[in-house]
Amino acid sequence: MTDFDAIVVGSGMSGGWSAKELCERGLKVLVLERGPEIKPERDYVDQLPPWQEKNLDRISQEEIKERYFKQYPGVSYAVKESNKHFWVRDDEHPYETVEGTKYDWLRGYHTGGRSITWSRQSYRMGPQDFTANKNEGVAIDWPVRYDEIKPWYDYVEEFAGIAGNRDGLEQLPDGVYQPGFELTDAENFFKSKVESKFPGRNIIQARIAHLTSATDEQRSLGRSNCQSRNRCHFGCSFKAYFSSLNATLPAAERTGNMTIVHNAAVQSLEYDAATNRISGVRIIDIETNENRTYTSAVVFLNASAIASAMILMQSKSATFPNGLANSSDQVGRNLMDHISGAGANGIINGFENKKVFGRRPSGGIYIPRYANITEQNKPFTRGFGYQGGASPIGNAGGQIAGIGRDFKESHKSPGPWRISIGAFGEQLPNPNNRVTLHPNKTDKWGNPQALFDVSYGENEHTMLEEARKDAVAMLEAAGCSDINSNPVNLTVPGNRIHEMGSARMGDDPSNSVLNRWCQAHDVPNLFVTDGSFMTSAACQNPSISYMAFTARACDYAVNLMEENSL
Amino acid sequence: MKTRREVLQGMIVSIGGASLLAACKVVVRVNPSSADGLEFYNSDELALVSRVSDLVIPRTETPGALDVNVPGFLDALLAEWADTDTKREQHNNLRQLNSELGQDFASVDYITAEGRLSELDTRAFENQPRQHNEYRALKGLITQAYFASEEGALQEQKWVAIPGRWDPSVEI
Repeated sequence: MTDFDAIVVGSGMSGGWSAKELCERGLKVLVLERGPEIKPERDYVDQLPPWQEKNLDRISQEEIKERYFKQYPGVSYAVKESNKHFWVRDDEHPYETVEGTKYDWLRGYHTGGRSITWSRQSYRMGPQDFTANKNEGVAIDWPVRYDEIKPWYDYVEEFAGIAGNRDGLEQLPDGVYQPGFELTDAENFFKSKVESKFPGRNIIQARIAHLTSATDEQRSLGRSNCQSRNRCHFGCSFKAYFSSLNATLPAAERTGNMTIVHNAAVQSLEYDAATNRISGVRIIDIETNENRTYTSAVVFLNASAIASAMILMQSKSATFPNGLANSSDQVGRNLMDHISGAGANGIINGFENKKVFGRRPSGGIYIPRYANITEQNKPFTRGFGYQGGASPIGNAGGQIAGIGRDFKESHKSPGPWRISIGAFGEQLPNPNNRVTLHPNKTDKWGNPQALFDVSYGENEHTMLEEARKDAVAMLEAAGCSDINSNPVNLTVPGNRIHEMGSARMGDDPSNSVLNRWCQAHDVPNLFVTDGSFMTSAACQNPSISYMAFTARACDYAVNLMEENSL
Repeated sequence: MKTRREVLQGMIVSIGGASLLAACKVVVRVNPSSADGLEFYNSDELALVSRVSDLVIPRTETPGALDVNVPGFLDALLAEWADTDTKREQHNNLRQLNSELGQDFASVDYITAEGRLSELDTRAFENQPRQHNEYRALKGLITQAYFASEEGALQEQKWVAIPGRWDPSVEI
């Protein structure tokens, strides 16, 4: 007899879904969260008006040097004095990189993980993304095709709530959407100019995980429509954007089947060779240093691509001397992120008599991938999308000319409009890009530190050079002035916070960790449904795909349990 | 016990209406003996920052930078937020600004001071590459601090806490 039917490791983007799906199917579920509890009513700071923010909401420079020396430089737009409790302290959670390489490991250890601070962009992978590896002979083939995952995208989008438009693009399939955030006039102008000059390119509304027409189900969870405050990085008291805290965990909670334990960092999964099953999950309490072991019939790893791989590598046994479920030696390899650092901005003329009302959350426009889809003969493989938007320059933090009444008054007029677009490109899987356990460095709880060895290759560099040129050409097509486009400055691996691929799925157990259901080839009662399973990265923001694969894996696992075949 | 904000407000002689009636010659005076409440600026620096604040964002139909105590806010900000390097840079900036604007900038009549600052502002924003960072940095801080104040946000900027909707196209 086990303590629980299922243990879910991690309460973030995918862990919340595991908890919800398994609880709703009647399983008794334990969720292990390595960080402290976040209570929305106590810990969200979205209602703080500017004049109550300390020091313009800036973390002191000394504190950044001491505690946030990785998090702050990596994601300074979102790490603030008032919400710093949503980010890890680097002095408490160190990691290492191989000499000559860099890695940004940007994290939040608490209920909901990074689902509190994500950027909410939600794009499906397209049919081409599941066949690219096979067609190009790169890495291994995905064991899944778009048509198989499509109903699960439908399922998770309906629950999560995605605002967007149905644009009819094959490479970026439409989903189940609530009304989107309409484009500004400048964006519509940009769209018409670019689409007529470049017929294979499309400019669409960003698709973002915000409620704009909340369903009965969403309202029953205490969620309501987005209020256009753009305070999302501080939590949302309206629960209007999707996060584990706002949506999946409350859904799991109301079943009465969920137990959540905080401050419980998983150290290893205990393996029973006789049954070829995980027999227990060993944790260390980060407050008391006490060790405990919990047992369950099935384990879902949702600790994030890096932490899940590390937990497997820490789980050594006679059967699995290189880490649990790692007979393929692929655990920790093929670590991918998206690549940015190329784009352009400029003044888009003719909209000085227009302004906006409300503060649109997240992005405005998205330019879906066209490279190697509608435009061929690129000097690189795969492609990129752009995120961006056009808005009035407005206040500009005092960096406009003038003093006195005129200067003060000028802040009431929107001023010229600036458009900005930045590329998010696909990184190719490479087994040499990996995370391993540091041979001798540990954190203060005695757990091995991560050691990263990740570098970008020629394809990534070439792709972004082209993305920069294309961005400039599109701004020129729209007649922009003052176009700025800095030389490509490829982001540090990890900086896009889309880690994936560290336990890839495939049909062949000799070269993949997970099967098509996110189930470990080697150990049947182990599922990994965070970004680890991704066989390739595509160029779309990946969270909605993690959600869809997680829901599908949960359904499969519970079906097996009901048949007594897990 | 007085809060630092109150101490600073006591130090800055109100120049209410000064910029609304620009002909009225009012001088910002700081009593150096009361500078104990300061954590970052010395009294001369405070006088300079106060003068620049008043000229950049004067009182009009809505409160100005001095009404919302921007200098006191910046004193606290730089004391609490800035590290040693930034603090040194800020002091250097003010020294340089003082030599640009004249040692008597804080005490000359309003029109003279306005003329000098206006000239510097023009030079700072007309040329590329960017010049006069010592002034642009201070102007940026003053502006951010003003619009982050309750009066600046609500009365001047008409900031709305909960817009409730998104309208991408509003005619003005």
